[in-house]
Parts: sequence; structure tokens; C-alpha cells
Amino acid sequence: MTQSKKRKGILGGLALVAVAIGLYWSLAVAPPDAYQGEVQRIMYLHLPSILTAYLSYFLVFIGSGMYLWKREKRDDLLAHAAAELGVLFTALTIIEGSIWGKPTWGVWWTWDARLTLTAILLLIYAGYLMLRSLIDDENRAASAAAILGIIGFLDIPLIHMSVYWWRTLHQPPSILRPDKVPWENVHPAMLTALTISFVGFLLLYFYLLSLRYRVGEMRQEIKALRLERGA
Amino acid sequence: MGAWGFVSLAYGIVCGTLVVYWMFLKRRYRQAEAEVDRLRSSEIIGSDDKI
Amino acid sequence: MALLKQTYLLLCKDLLLELRRRDSLLTMFFFGTLLLFVFHFSFDLAPDKIAEMAPALLWLAFLFTGTLGLAQLFQAERENHCLDALLLSPLDRGALFLAKTSFNLILMLLVELVVMPLFWILFNLSAWNLLPQLFLVTLLGTIGFCVLGTIMSALTLRARARELLLPLVLFPLMIPVILATIRCMESVLRHGEFGEAVSWLKLLVGFDVIFITVGVLIFDWVLES
Repeated sequence: MTQSKKRKGILGGLALVAVAIGLYWSLAVAPPDAYQGEVQRIMYLHLPSILTAYLSYFLVFIGSGMYLWKREKRDDLLAHAAAELGVLFTALTIIEGSIWGKPTWGVWWTWDARLTLTAILLLIYAGYLMLRSLIDDENRAASAAAILGIIGFLDIPLIHMSVYWWRTLHQPPSILRPDKVPWENVHPAMLTALTISFVGFLLLYFYLLSLRYRVGEMRQEIKALRLERGA
Repeated sequence: MGAWGFVSLAYGIVCGTLVVYWMFLKRRYRQAEAEVDRLRSSEIIGSDDKI
Repeated sequence: MALLKQTYLLLCKDLLLELRRRDSLLTMFFFGTLLLFVFHFSFDLAPDKIAEMAPALLWLAFLFTGTLGLAQLFQAERENHCLDALLLSPLDRGALFLAKTSFNLILMLLVELVVMPLFWILFNLSAWNLLPQLFLVTLLGTIGFCVLGTIMSALTLRARARELLLPLVLFPLMIPVILATIRCMESVLRHGEFGEAVSWLKLLVGFDVIFITVGVLIFDWVLES
């Protein structure tokens, strides 16, 4: 087995261990929340998911920028891989948020600021993936996607502002606001669960990213080899 | 559905999705690897016909 | 400044072409009016409810009409390899961006100048004195739409299913503009002046400034794709 494959394997193994410990801590060790009860445990998934998604989109931005600047294929490969994973983790975030919302707010969906913003993010980066797949010329697809990756990322703060203003001006304040966690009263085991879950998610993310990146790299090589071989 | 029901639903879907994605990713990986190996070791078609 | 001069030249070219055939302008105008009729049949509401929904309906009409215009934006250049010719010339790509954006902007403004009063008449709205303020908001929003729309139109130029892909990538990015314009218009209609909606106005202006700058700087790469 090659060096890089071994390293990926180790990363995967570490991720698995961290995730397992995180699961144990989130489900068994951490106490239920005083207000939300057991349902609050979903937050140990939800918060790491959305943070991982944001990290992914930042990587898309960096990869896109670098690609436009230096035109090195590896930056484009990074952007593409990160976009795919970003969409995956955003979708998971929305599902987790929805499931958390049902017992908490009584509805599967509500147009509150955070859920709405997450849904918009999903649309933007799903559009990114669609753009890539609908342009046949590979270099054009890479350039176009890079531009979209940059513009999308620059727009996010503006979207964030506008959705929050809109929602805070019109929505009556709800009793259970997950962003108003009284940190002084948080049980240490809950913080630990959150931290371990986050570490597990991060390791898992980088493991999946390395695999997806390599798939992209191999596809490049296949194209080049096919041209060369005339196959 | 009780509280633990929702928790299991959430954790179940997340774990399930990640595992399925990982499986598909591994499959793409293996297929690409096989194709690369195949192409690398194959004869260069028409390379003997030098003009 | 060379940039502005080139922009002006390119803009005149497009306007001249449009004046002769009036394809885009007429289509957009009729489509905008058609949408008003469709809205009338879709939303069977009391007159005061219509007044509440007026900004949203108006903006929806403009969004869809504008998307039509965007699909046509580079149509002339696509034929006969004109785009390649333009790219080979020593023109600043930023000028091309500004010209195309301004062209679409002018088309949309012309359509809006007619459709807005028409909307007022068809839906029996009063408050004619507020139209100038509403038009200011519409102007700022349309600028935002044209700026991002031109970039996306150029990006999707060679994509398959282009007519579907263009709105798909454009609309999520437009959300700040949509929210800001509609909230501003609602505020004007409700209070007769901007009031707290001024922050929305600032957001709109910020959006326009940011993406005009980005567009000018980045259009080189947009067209390479």
C-alpha cells in the first residue's frame, strides 16, 4: 500500500475512534438538558455539522481563488471535493435541525433565520455542483465554478445580514432560543460531548475530503492517460 | 414519538447517510484506481506506427 | 477614463442593435404585463390585501422578466463568433461587463417604468405620490439584479440546460436584494417614507457597490470560461 493510502487509512481509523467516543459521550455521559430534555442531544450533531459545512465552503472559496490565480488543477480539485462534502454536511444540518425542531417547536420546518440561511447555503452550493456538471469543457467548468465559488462566498455575509434582519424584525421572540445558551450553567460533560463530537466530525470530514480529492485526481489522470493511449 | 425516538431518528439518519456516502465514495475510488492501473499497464495503441 | 469610454462604445452598440429589432425589449415588456394578469387570476384578494402584496408581486414580475432579458444578453455575441472577436480585441473586459450590465439595466428600467404604473392602475392602488420613492428602490434593486445577472449569464454561456441553470444559480444569490427591495417598498407604502427601512437601503447600495467592483475585476476570468 502506498504511503498516502496508509495515511488516509490512519486518518479514517482516528475519525472512527473519535466519532465512537463522541457518540458515547453525547448519548450516555452527557446529562439531558434542563429545558429541552433528551432532544437537546441532537445539538451534538447539529453544531459540528454546520461548522464543518462552513469550513467546507471556506475551502471552496480558497480553492476557487487559488485556481483563478495560479491555474493549478489541484486547487480546482480541492474546491470541487469541498463543495460536494459541503452540500452533504449542509443537508445533514438541515435534517438534524428539522428533527430537533419537531419536538421543540412542534413543527418540522420553520422559516427562522438559521434554518432559512442553511437552506440558502444548500441551494447555492448545489447550484455550484450543477454548474460544473452541465458544462462539458472541463477547463471552462473549472473556471466558471471558481467564479461562482468566490461570488457565492462573498454573498454569504450579505445573505446572512438580510435574513437575520428580516427575521428579527418580524418574528416574535421564542422561548427556546438555542443560541441563547447560558454558558455559565452548562454542565461540563455537555461541553466535553460537544468538543469530542466536533473533533470526530472534523476528522471524518478530512478523511472523506482526502478520499474525494483523490478520486478527482485519479479521474484527471484517467483523462490524460486516455488521450495519450488513444484508448 | 418520544424524545429518544427523535434522537435516534437524527443520529440514525446522520450515521446512515455518512456510511452510505462513504461506501459510494470508496466504490468510486476503487473503480478509478482500477481504471488508472488498467490504462497505465495497457499498450500504447498505435505507438509502433511511426511515420 | 478609457474604461468608461469603452463601456460607452459597447453600450451604444448594443442599444443600437436593440433599437433596430426591439426583440428583447418588446418580449420583456409583454411578459411583464402578462405576469400582472396571471397574478390577478392567481391572487383573488381584497383590494387592501393587494396593496400589502404589491411590492412582492411587482418584484416577482421584474425578477422573471429580467431573467428573460439575461438569457438574451449575450445572444448577439454567440452568433458568428462575435464573442471571440471581442475577446481578441484590446478591450478592457471590465468595460464589457459594465456595458452589458448597463444595457440590461436600461432595458429593465424601461419595462419597469411602464409596468409599475400599469400595476397601479390594474390593481386600483392609490398612493401615486409614492411612486418616485418606490422607483428609487426598484432602481437600486434592478442594478443589483443586472450586475449579478450579467456575471451569471456569462458564466452559463456554454452550459447545457442554460435557461434553467441561470435562474438556479442566480436566485439564491439575489436573496439580499429581494428582501431589501420588498421590505423597503413595504415600508414606503405603509409609512409614506423610508423610516427604519433605511438600513435595507444601505444594504442594497452596499450590495450594488460590492458586486459592481467584483464584476469589473473578475470579468476577465468569467469570459474565459
